[in-house]
Amino acid sequence: MANKILEVHELTTKYITRQGEDVYSVDHVSLDIEEGKSLGIAGESGCGKSTLALSLMGYYFAPLHYTSGEIIIDGKNISGMDPDVVRKTVLGTEVAYIPQAAMNAMNPTRKVGKFIEDVIFAHELKMTKEEIREMAEQRFAKLGLPVDALDKYSVELSGGMRQRVVIAVSTILSPKVLIADEPSSALDVTSQKMVIKMMKDMLNTGLVKSMIFITHELPLLYNVTDDIMVMYAGQIVERGTAHEMVFDPIHPYSRGLMRSILVPEEGTRDVKLTAIPGTPPNLKHPPAGCRFADRCRYATPSCKVVSPPLLDIGGGRTYRCSMPVEQLREVYASED
Amino acid sequence: MTKGMRKYFKKKIFWFVITFIAAVILNFILPRLMPGDPVNSIVGKNISPGATQEQVQEQIAYYQHQFGLDKDIFGQFWDFVKNAFNGTFGVSYSQYPRLVSDIIGSSIWWTVALQLPAILVGWLLGNLLGALAAYKRSFYDKALMPVTLFFSAIPAFGAAVILLVVFAVNLKWAPVNGAFDPGMIPSFSWKFISSVIAHYQLPFWSIVLISIGGQAVGMRSMSIYELNADYVKYARFLGIKDKKIVRYVFRNAMLPQVTGLAMSIGAMVGGALVAETIFSYPGLGMSMYAAINSSDYPVISACTLIITVMVLIASFLLDIIYAFIDPRVKAAQFD
Repeated sequence: MANKILEVHELTTKYITRQGEDVYSVDHVSLDIEEGKSLGIAGESGCGKSTLALSLMGYYFAPLHYTSGEIIIDGKNISGMDPDVVRKTVLGTEVAYIPQAAMNAMNPTRKVGKFIEDVIFAHELKMTKEEIREMAEQRFAKLGLPVDALDKYSVELSGGMRQRVVIAVSTILSPKVLIADEPSSALDVTSQKMVIKMMKDMLNTGLVKSMIFITHELPLLYNVTDDIMVMYAGQIVERGTAHEMVFDPIHPYSRGLMRSILVPEEGTRDVKLTAIPGTPPNLKHPPAGCRFADRCRYATPSCKVVSPPLLDIGGGRTYRCSMPVEQLREVYASED
Repeated sequence: MTKGMRKYFKKKIFWFVITFIAAVILNFILPRLMPGDPVNSIVGKNISPGATQEQVQEQIAYYQHQFGLDKDIFGQFWDFVKNAFNGTFGVSYSQYPRLVSDIIGSSIWWTVALQLPAILVGWLLGNLLGALAAYKRSFYDKALMPVTLFFSAIPAFGAAVILLVVFAVNLKWAPVNGAFDPGMIPSFSWKFISSVIAHYQLPFWSIVLISIGGQAVGMRSMSIYELNADYVKYARFLGIKDKKIVRYVFRNAMLPQVTGLAMSIGAMVGGALVAETIFSYPGLGMSMYAAINSSDYPVISACTLIITVMVLIASFLLDIIYAFIDPRVKAAQFD
């Protein structure tokens, strides 16, 4: 069995609102990634996927707070560690983050090269400015980025270039886990493709040991990641391989996500587009039963009362629904 | 200097020249639109009670000739331009035959010595308080911001009068008016310098007080905006220390504040008017105030010209400085 780079057990984090209410945006989430693999996390806006990304780094600041659970990176448990130790020894070196708004991710008044210096010095690595420069130049060249971008401000770079520079800066310390939060959503298709290719190359060449790719477009993940996990209202509702998730989604929500976007793949491109009715529940007061029950067309009265557990059906496949797999598949088949 | 930069500065200079010419013309015309005849008031003051109508007429004609007021408006304008270029700005009407350059030369240094430190101190304190309020939120924000807002809402003359009444009239901690004790002759003696320092306090703090408020409010909102910027979160998740990030934030939040500083330095002379009149401080503001009262056109025009030129220079320098401290502006201007 391959070495597990990231293991997360029952991680729960919450936001504390200004009124002092707790909002559990990541609710008992468990996941793992093997070395060299990538995991996609999909879900609509407000489902907790970005919060999960932030929570996975083990570094919390208001309004986000850690509640319980474990994060183990390459055998090292980082949950419960002193925040300053996490900052120095985990962020950037063990886990790195590519933000949602990568277009404005860099300080507009600092040159890219200077910013890289700041990152390295923050980890108290014994390197001179010349060594950092050399390392950054080598890395940029390796990733196919122009070396003179180091002497530019981020505002002087084009959108796609800025995004790729941010990825290069994030991974400058060769982290074990790379977490990308919608890194391509603000880009045109060409730049999007370049960004995704760059990230896949980094994984394939071992520059990063594993990757989490977060997006609201489930079908996009098909070509990007090995596994896909779907989140809803702070919980995992389904996980499987990319192929399984795209061609055989089990959970009604996963199926709804797949059917709400046009997918060019053979076998899925002929389906009729349907929207998922309603909006996600307010997590200040989560529903007692299944969190998706209110929007689920297959919901029974008991769904609103009984909260279904995450079921493991073998082969790394899990889903959270009170209906058996066979029954769901039958219902889906009768619809098509 | 890149090609884009040269083009940018050429365009800037062109517009500054246009603005300058327009300002010079306005500086000449506007004082002359004021009601009141400067010669009449001078003659009225100087003439002996028993003078005949003819003698009065003679006097008026004499002064009008001396001041060049018997020429037509274009002739007067030409005189004004000539005098501006030879640096004397002509002869003062109310203090005839003193040169305008002499009046300004003796008062401008009082203004600069009062205003420049006051503006700088007010700017620094205001930015510091604003940054603290944004960063510490809780205490500073709740306690300090209402206080600074209160002071920034007081009009300049109000703050000066309050200080005057409280500290000079009631508490008698500071002298009421002037720049030094009456009867003293300016010298480098300890006595004179301590007198100057004592007289300096109230006008100085009245300017500081009102400028703190505006700066603090601006700096606070800029800092809060920058603290929530995407780059702050990103830098945090790359493991950069909060101390360093705070430096990023305040450097970026300061950028618009630099504009405020340059503008208040440029408008220094105009801003001096209120504090100087209330404390009878012998600066340029006082000279201008006296000149306006006696329709002393050459002095008014010279003062307003100084204000115009200072504002123009300040905004020109600001454009240059800004391009170097903010790469976003540079990218937008020079491409």
